[in-house]
Amino acid sequence: MLKEMQDALIAGKKPEVESLVEQALDAGTPAGTILNEGLIPGMARLGVQFKNNEVFIPEVLVAARAMNAGLAKLEPHLAKAGVKPRGVVVIGTVKGDLHDIGKNLVAMMLRGNGYKIVDLGVDVAPERYVEAARANGAGVIALSALLTTTMVQMRAVVEAVEKAGLGVPVVIGGAPVTREYAGQIRAQGYAPDAASAVEEIGRIVAV
Amino acid sequence: MTSRELVVASLELRAPSRAPRQLWTLPWAERVWPAELAAIRRSYPDDIVTCPAFLRQPLRTSGQEYEPGLFVDEWGCRFENRQAGIIGQVKDPLIKEWADLDAIRVPRERLSVDLGRVDDFCGRSREFVLAKTWARPFELLQFIRGSENLYVDLVERPEGLFLLIETIHAFFKEEMELWASTEVDALVFADDWGGQGTLLVAPDLWREIFKPLYRDYIEIAHRHGKYAFMHSDGHIAAILPDLVEIGLDALNAQLFAMDIEAIGERFAGRLTFWGEVDRQWLLPYGTPSEIAAAVRRVWRALWRAGGAVAQCEFGIGARPENVAAVFGAWDDLTRGGL
Repeated sequence: MLKEMQDALIAGKKPEVESLVEQALDAGTPAGTILNEGLIPGMARLGVQFKNNEVFIPEVLVAARAMNAGLAKLEPHLAKAGVKPRGVVVIGTVKGDLHDIGKNLVAMMLRGNGYKIVDLGVDVAPERYVEAARANGAGVIALSALLTTTMVQMRAVVEAVEKAGLGVPVVIGGAPVTREYAGQIRAQGYAPDAASAVEEIGRIVAV
Repeated sequence: MTSRELVVASLELRAPSRAPRQLWTLPWAERVWPAELAAIRRSYPDDIVTCPAFLRQPLRTSGQEYEPGLFVDEWGCRFENRQAGIIGQVKDPLIKEWADLDAIRVPRERLSVDLGRVDDFCGRSREFVLAKTWARPFELLQFIRGSENLYVDLVERPEGLFLLIETIHAFFKEEMELWASTEVDALVFADDWGGQGTLLVAPDLWREIFKPLYRDYIEIAHRHGKYAFMHSDGHIAAILPDLVEIGLDALNAQLFAMDIEAIGERFAGRLTFWGEVDRQWLLPYGTPSEIAAAVRRVWRALWRAGGAVAQCEFGIGARPENVAAVFGAWDDLTRGGL
């Protein structure tokens, strides 16, 4: 059934994912098992397909909606069972920038991979990342920017995090952003696409 | 050669005496670098110009498109903006539910073009004249429906989506037909189809839903003896063969997001590359010598006694000396029709 759940998730079949989660719960499958062996591997497979250009943004969005529907059924049971998220990620598009599709895709894929997401939205000032990371015990701060001019705000966020002494790694991404730029501004991670962001954050959280 | 002759010679690979030029600017450049921009325009005048709309009826818009705040376009789409000099983002789509489909107001005012004035403009112009068409079905769908909703629609295929596409496309075709009846040289349409490394949607989906729309625009242009020009940002290598197949004449694409040499091997001489030079990194952060090397790379890959236009965008963050270097380098490489 868990394999079937993965397939339904990848195909973006929301009602089927909800139904399979319910069936698995009714059959006594632990919520953590459904999450870790059903939904998360489904999103992980989708991430690989996305990275390999086998699926594109529309398919990822539809799958993410199916994932969220499944998670909504599962969350009360996860809480009851004391299953913790893999980590907390504070995410947002930097100050002056209103673009959010890339940021939303990353947030969806991270959520689908077991992370708790604190989404600050768009046009986010550096101090808001710091406050949210502190308030939520974030393990990673993820920044997005589409514009060459707003990309420079990423440096301000890194500096604000350093100044606050948070010690929370910052991962950056967005059309004009490169790994070289991440190095220049002392960001600890860089991802060229949403699937890579999951890998990069997984690597950082594991460390 | 006149400017128009230069452009036509490049489109038809008939060795223009230099690469024709066109500089695109965002209001940001005019605001930040007015004197430098004026100097570039004096040194490197455009060979391609866009005809003014010459509308008899004003468009029903409100706010300023390139200023912070709210701008409502002629379709009723609401753009929020935080930065002067660039366009904003739609955060509150017009059609949240398909029952709202009637909320669309087709801007018929755009068809109130004074055709006599257009023809007069074209007759007086020595430049190659682009129509003030900018059909952009995919972008408009995103503005009307919201990007994420639209992407999901493209998978789920609700009936409303196709009704909306039909409405938009019928309007754009009517607008194209109108402009094609004038003396302009080319019709223009646009949609950003690429992300940084790949197409935004599956190529097969694009072929099924969107390719026929562009085919229609190109057919209208060619039926009236006009060239068809398209702009599309991002990595769009996957659909280049399709654009060539449906007869596109000139494409403005982010060459530097793709493998320029591979594109040249397949398409040089089959499609005219209407620019550009990397505006994400080179124009804002590069040096004039790096720009010259980039132009040389484009020229080597794509120029076949024509088949290219020296074009770049003086957009946000770009350095004026780099913009000037684009045109200087193209002049150096192509003067004399080499």
